[in-house]
Amino acid sequence: MILLLVLALLVWRGANRGVVIALWAVGLVATIGLFRYHVTSTLDLSF
Amino acid sequence: MAEIVVEETRIIEDPRGDGNRLWGFITFWGLHAWVLAYCVVMLSAFFIQFVMGEFPCPLCMLQRYGMILATLGALFVIMQARRGELTTARYAQGLGMGLIGVLAGAAVSVRQIELHILPGDPGYGAPFLRLHLYTWAFVTFAIVMIYIGVMLMLMPRGIPQAPAAGSAAWRISTAIIWLFIGVIAANVIAIIFLEGFAPVLPDDPAGYTLIDQLTGR
Repeated sequence: MILLLVLALLVWRGANRGVVIALWAVGLVATIGLFRYHVTSTLDLSF
Repeated sequence: MAEIVVEETRIIEDPRGDGNRLWGFITFWGLHAWVLAYCVVMLSAFFIQFVMGEFPCPLCMLQRYGMILATLGALFVIMQARRGELTTARYAQGLGMGLIGVLAGAAVSVRQIELHILPGDPGYGAPFLRLHLYTWAFVTFAIVMIYIGVMLMLMPRGIPQAPAAGSAAWRISTAIIWLFIGVIAANVIAIIFLEGFAPVLPDDPAGYTLIDQLTGR
């Protein structure tokens, strides 16, 4: 979340576009990683 | 055939012509509506967290991450438009960031909906207007997906155009941007209190871990 705050401030300050997109991608990967960490069980569903 | 080529070239080379100003105005403020809407959603989540005493689970927080990641795409486009540097390619990049952000958030929402899909399951937290917050989150992600699709269909006519610097509209735009940055900062503080010194959120939070750790409870 701190990374996302830094990213928002960088976008506001007009940082280099490549840096913004690269950091945004890091934020996305971190989010997906956290999602994977918290999803620990398969759903017991049957349709 | 030759006339068609000339017409297409004219639109691409002159996306800010008179015919496109209305679309530019609509899409610029449409992006602000997107930013403002997610600010309201996350402030409402804070109300439920702090006033109603419901603590966000890790999946709830990940949905906020998805909202912020997506809205950073809108912010990216708004700031480029305000600086007069927005091109069709940069607009597409911002919309792409938004689309991937809402897809990530929607994946988390669907997971949480499925966790509580069995008959008789009360769900996590209290429902709002008959739906739980994670279901509403999915609805917002779907709305943004549709919005991005429409914006892509409007290109290159709908490239956002910022108002004159220093005007009232410019100041409103600035206020919405800083509201969004403030909401992210508030989320940073909230997550520090929820996590404490742990690297990740507890699976079923029942309080503020940082306070418990500092007071030795």
